[in-house]
Amino acid sequence: MKFRLILGAALALALAVPTAASATTLIASGSVAAQPVLQALFNGYHKAHPGITFVYTANGGNAGVKDVQSGRSQFAGQARPPLPSDAGTTYVKGYLDGLCVLVNKQNSLHSLTISQLGDIYAGRLTDWKTFPGAHLTGTIDPYGRDANGGTYNFFSQAVLQGNPPGGNVNALSSDGLIANAVKQDKYGIGYDGLAYTRLLRPIKVAGIPCDHANVASERYPLSRYIYYVLPTGKADPQVTKFIDWARTSRAAGGIINNSGGVAVFNKKPPKHHKKRSTRR
Amino acid sequence: MAPRWTDARTGRLLGALVCAVLLTTASMLLFVLVQGWPSFAHNGLHWFGSGGSVDVQIRNIFLSGETGTHPVYTFHAWPLVWSTILITGGAVVISLVISLFVSAFIVEFAPEPIRAVLRPVIRLLAAVPSVIYGLIGVLVVVPFIGNHLISQSARASKAGIISLSGYSLLAAAVILTVMISPLMVAVFSDGMRTVPSGWVEGSLGLGVNRWRTFWKIVVRTARPAIVAGTVLAAARAIGEAVMLAMVSGSVGFSPNPGDGWLFFVEPSRPLAPTIIKNSEELSSPPMHATLFAIASVLLLSSALFSLVGWAAKQPMKKYGVRA
Repeated sequence: MKFRLILGAALALALAVPTAASATTLIASGSVAAQPVLQALFNGYHKAHPGITFVYTANGGNAGVKDVQSGRSQFAGQARPPLPSDAGTTYVKGYLDGLCVLVNKQNSLHSLTISQLGDIYAGRLTDWKTFPGAHLTGTIDPYGRDANGGTYNFFSQAVLQGNPPGGNVNALSSDGLIANAVKQDKYGIGYDGLAYTRLLRPIKVAGIPCDHANVASERYPLSRYIYYVLPTGKADPQVTKFIDWARTSRAAGGIINNSGGVAVFNKKPPKHHKKRSTRR
Repeated sequence: MAPRWTDARTGRLLGALVCAVLLTTASMLLFVLVQGWPSFAHNGLHWFGSGGSVDVQIRNIFLSGETGTHPVYTFHAWPLVWSTILITGGAVVISLVISLFVSAFIVEFAPEPIRAVLRPVIRLLAAVPSVIYGLIGVLVVVPFIGNHLISQSARASKAGIISLSGYSLLAAAVILTVMISPLMVAVFSDGMRTVPSGWVEGSLGLGVNRWRTFWKIVVRTARPAIVAGTVLAAARAIGEAVMLAMVSGSVGFSPNPGDGWLFFVEPSRPLAPTIIKNSEELSSPPMHATLFAIASVLLLSSALFSLVGWAAKQPMKKYGVRA
């Protein structure tokens, strides 16, 4: 009997501790693609407001929205625009992200149009000799993300008109694996977030280079917004405060730009910011 | 005062723990089957058949749950099943042969110092996490196959259908072989060491050489251990997911033996990696059922392996050593 009492007390304690702390723990979930930037923002916000901590589960944007609808998460990160199935949630534009198209060092191609890119990823254009600029003859090996993840959905929507990619696309499970595969395969082509372009040379899409400035101005065709998803009318004031900070403050802008995103709404950092112009 | 831990009490407690293990296993099996049932109910035996592109089916299943119209369950898993059979079967057969020879060397022919080194090394290899093999596959094996074994004309012949870029049956089976052979060698050589030395010495004393003695006496006697090791390795192979997701090519394509040797470098995707690759889509109810249906097929196949292994061992028990 005594043992049971102790067990009960221990259980109650174990349950009570997280509840007591949850006054300042914000729970979020969603996009895998947005995770690096969001995590950097969480760390930055925690430094400025030590009372507030974050738990982020990168279970995918669609699952994150479901979590917000059911109340399991207080907000979600999402890499696609709202759909009718997202009822009861409000989408807030956070920052911009660009998908760059990468080729191997031995490939001298410098530009592709969206429709050429679509033809490559649908398996209609299959040889590099179709592109004289490539100075390469051989079957194209397209690499893409597997169906897990907003990056795949964004690419399908922006390049393939919502269709799935052709059977000749190698589906890899992370952005890093795509960069690695293109680096090792002379005939490879892949797409990756802005943060990965330091490893490989991105080519122009529709004549526009994939860089920070062109993504920021949305001239680059494969730019997309990362959204914060909130429960409509029921957002926690602490969450709203964080999102306002992340969207508008100069500090958050610097964090976004340094962790692979492109800050849009944040107050501009002072001019001496050299890092931005060298990022490619 | 009587001892608190009497034999009877210890026996009951341990018995209860074992029952808890059995109960957990049974309830897990039941849970997975119940969750996956809608997928089987809608497709019947066609679930295992072929027809249409399995990747398109997966996408339609997922979207039907997301957009909220009535759910779609049509799913013909043959390309995934075929890929699982080819990769697992290939790896088990290759490692069975390799492991028999390696165990023969360790048990019968290796000088003591080499044996002392080999044994711990093999045990270490058996315990290497599979994601490490996956990384080696992606960084070494796949680029080697892609850049050196596949000709330009071969790539061109499949252009627009599949990419022959090194992510292939061959890469998957080779790495899986490296993964499961140490397990087999460990179990085989343990079994072979328990063969009574009198039997071996008797054979040698009659003038039979060591090679023949090994096959006729040691291997025959150790058959139950060989079956046990093979079953264990096959169970590990069929459940392997992370490494295969990285190197198999991850395309729902059925490699075609009619393509000659190109068959070996064609990409595919077995069942277990399909679960990993689509785990994010669990939020869609029909996708949830489909993934659990895949999981129950994997669980039941592992159970079947154990059963077959047990059945195969029965007639051998009479003469062989126990394993």
